[in-house]
Amino acid sequence: MLNRERTPLTGRRVQLMATCLCDAFYDDVAAATVEVLEHAGVEVAFPEGQTCCGQPAFNGGDWPASRRVVRHTVRTFAGEDPVVVPSGSCAAMLFHGAVLEFEREPDAPAVEALGRRTWELADYLVNGLGVRAWPGRYPARVALHRSCHSRGSDSVAAALTLLRSIAGLEVVEFGEPEQCCGFGGTFAVTFPHLSGAMGQLKLDHVRAAAPDVYVSADMSCLMHLGGLAAREGRPIRTLHLSQVLRDALRGGEAKP
Amino acid sequence: MTDDRESILSRVRGALAPLHERAPLPAYDSEIAVLRSLLAGRDLAELLAERMRRVNGLALTSPAAVVAHLRAGGHRHGYCDPALWPELAPHFADGFTVETRFDRTRVDEYAFGITRAAGAIAESGTIILKDRTTSSRLGALAPWVHIAVVSRADIFGDVTQAVAALGEDRNVVWCTGPSKTADVEGILIEGVHGPGEQIALIVP
Amino acid sequence: MKGQAIDRFAATLPAETRASVYQSTKATHEKRTRLLFDQFADPDRLRALAGEIKQHAIENLDTYLPQAEARLRANGAQVHWAGTAEAACAHVLRIMRDRGATKMVKAKTMVSEEIELADYLGRHGIEALETDLGEFIIQIDHDHPSHIVRPIIHKNRREIATSFEREGLGAYNDDPATITRRARHHLRHKYLAADVGLTGANFLSAESGRIALVTNEGNSRFSVAATRCHIVLVGIEKIVPRDRDLGLLLNLLGRSATAQDLTVYTEFISGPRDPAQPDGPEEMHVIFVDNGRTEVLAGECREILRCIRCGACLNVCPIYRQASGHAYRSVYPGPVGAVLSPLLLKENFPQKADLPKASSLCGACHEVCPVNIPIPDLLLRLRARAKEENVPSPGTPPMGPWALLASQPTAWRAALVAGRALNVLPTRLIPVPALQAWTASRELPGWRGGEFRRWLKARRRPAPPAR
Ligand code: SF4
Repeated sequence: MLNRERTPLTGRRVQLMATCLCDAFYDDVAAATVEVLEHAGVEVAFPEGQTCCGQPAFNGGDWPASRRVVRHTVRTFAGEDPVVVPSGSCAAMLFHGAVLEFEREPDAPAVEALGRRTWELADYLVNGLGVRAWPGRYPARVALHRSCHSRGSDSVAAALTLLRSIAGLEVVEFGEPEQCCGFGGTFAVTFPHLSGAMGQLKLDHVRAAAPDVYVSADMSCLMHLGGLAAREGRPIRTLHLSQVLRDALRGGEAKP
Repeated sequence: MTDDRESILSRVRGALAPLHERAPLPAYDSEIAVLRSLLAGRDLAELLAERMRRVNGLALTSPAAVVAHLRAGGHRHGYCDPALWPELAPHFADGFTVETRFDRTRVDEYAFGITRAAGAIAESGTIILKDRTTSSRLGALAPWVHIAVVSRADIFGDVTQAVAALGEDRNVVWCTGPSKTADVEGILIEGVHGPGEQIALIVP
Repeated sequence: MKGQAIDRFAATLPAETRASVYQSTKATHEKRTRLLFDQFADPDRLRALAGEIKQHAIENLDTYLPQAEARLRANGAQVHWAGTAEAACAHVLRIMRDRGATKMVKAKTMVSEEIELADYLGRHGIEALETDLGEFIIQIDHDHPSHIVRPIIHKNRREIATSFEREGLGAYNDDPATITRRARHHLRHKYLAADVGLTGANFLSAESGRIALVTNEGNSRFSVAATRCHIVLVGIEKIVPRDRDLGLLLNLLGRSATAQDLTVYTEFISGPRDPAQPDGPEEMHVIFVDNGRTEVLAGECREILRCIRCGACLNVCPIYRQASGHAYRSVYPGPVGAVLSPLLLKENFPQKADLPKASSLCGACHEVCPVNIPIPDLLLRLRARAKEENVPSPGTPPMGPWALLASQPTAWRAALVAGRALNVLPTRLIPVPALQAWTASRELPGWRGGEFRRWLKARRRPAPPAR
């Protein structure tokens, strides 16, 4: 449903949007993203002024606040180089959400232009660069979390293409993969009961499949699910897709 | 009594006035919703029978089979379209009471109703009733068993064709299987208000 | 009261109710999906097309409504226009009084529930009996429907059997077949004794004036077979341009609602009965109901007027599955209700401005909608409207300070470092409600603010500066 126009890729230079979540909690995910992109022969720039994509306020209904952040993001990621984000959710914010909240704004064209050159990581690798197989080895049973922001986009198929191509890696299926984990940004704190109940259902399905690792292109979902599981005293092992790709290059990661 | 016609239409016009352009009516081929691979190369009467079974309906091809079915079900009292009765009567031996006028005051007495169908849709297993061809709306609806007499030539392949042939009749009803509900705990129960058995008698 | 009403409602929903709502919505959704994808190469193309047709129709209501009206009149039906719920109810009452009618049988119609017609008629001495099995049970229980296609999805057979016993419909028996049989016998005599049959309309073709009406039970068919006067309540958004569009929409409606190629009874009615037909109405009245729809049409959420009330978005919705329909305090629950219900309130929007927030914006509703309504976008627009109108929203963290921080890189970087306090302070001592709500049920990962930036700088090969 989020199909969209994209600016054709020319060079192999990108600007990395690390995401606020990685900036604050998941530095290794951002680092892995850099290494993965560089392995794919891409030159990675990191605009220092970056903060957040503006999604929390957008989802919360405070569009003036969100637009303020989006405007900052548009300025920060100036130029023609594509923006690559290790998050389907932040990518969708830029190519879809921001466009919606700028509909009546004079600077809508700049926002739309940024959206057109914004890519989720797996989508960029597979559909942007044409990577079909990922080298290395990762001996593990992996379950892939379909984050809701990749619904209707090319990201899920792209992530599966990459994972399935890795030697030793087995992708395992689980029940109701298309169901939401219950994170939903501020929803998680505004509707804690519903959010928790949805998370539990997801955890039940994932645990039933008993993967070695639960992998996602979005850390937000994993933060919620991992946080729930840890609180129950039955933690699940979660990794971002970029971490699996990087670790595959290193021959896999020892199981904990 | 005042009517809100003008105020509603003026609100509609007011609401639409700011639109720079109105959404166009898309051009499309009705074929897009046709189950073509299902229909390909099939005899429509056979397909109708198959698709009716899928919705728990039943297609029969001889009056004798209808009579046998009714007898087996213990359905002895029914209604029949007066125009159909002369031809069907010989097949109904003793033990059946068939009326050619549906008396609504005795609605519970009719176990079956036989009426003419205006057509059928093979794709969906549907029987088509129209006001001008159905002798009694109630006679086709209230009894437990409804038998619709369908001519082979009146079987449409798909829903799209049947829509195109709605025609001038002010009342057309498509019946796809027996009346049913799943309101109670999602459990399928047939024969809620209408027939619990929907039968097509396919005639040449 | 703390927290959001829907969250509280869901938390206190009996486990048995939740389980049955969950199971049956999930089962219906899965059947629907299997059927559509088995039968069509690209169901999404069909949904998009149906959405375009309905969008065109609602954006041309000024043409199509008078056209449908003229066709209906030419077919011998009478057309009335009702701006409000009260006006629609008054039309029905007047039509009945003009005929000296006192008894009505009603097929399931969402509009009649929206305008609270049965209560209104009851207050005016007219019996308006629900004939859909589920709606009949709702009526005898003085309850409310909790699903637009499956009104008693929240009830179990034991509750129903108890109600039937109380109403004198036989000794306690909770076998669904017996319950249905008893309703059959009770209701058919009611149809035959009624003066008027009232139905809704799933679609109204401008080309022919035909209303298309679908039911599985056959109750609307019985209402128009047994009575002499047919009243149709139709929301003005139900219009479609041509009969051929009905084909596509009907193909999608049955599959999306109940995983059927076609609903059992699909009726096309464009006027009173044919003179040759002994049964059925000699008079047909069609009431075009606005009741807030023109306001919706004027706003930025007009896509919701495409809705064909299939219930697919309820069935797939993870929130609906947990909370059930009554949580939405409205005739229209679930994702469609979260958009439509507050909108139909017009200036009283704030009363239901919490509904659009009860969503993780997962987008499943958009993915199943047969008319491709971008429900998440509409929920977001309504959230923005609620914020603009300063509607209080319990538990929603304020975004102003965060936006200030996130638009000032220096302050942002400082905050990244300062956040390390989270690693040493017990979270229960930090008076941030959002943090408290998070940590009530989840662990928070360790704070590593700024670590990535340090790592990047420390690398031998620094990233080239952005242009
Ligand atoms: S919004 Fe779409 S999915 Fe939901 S009831 Fe309406 S038509 Fe069906």
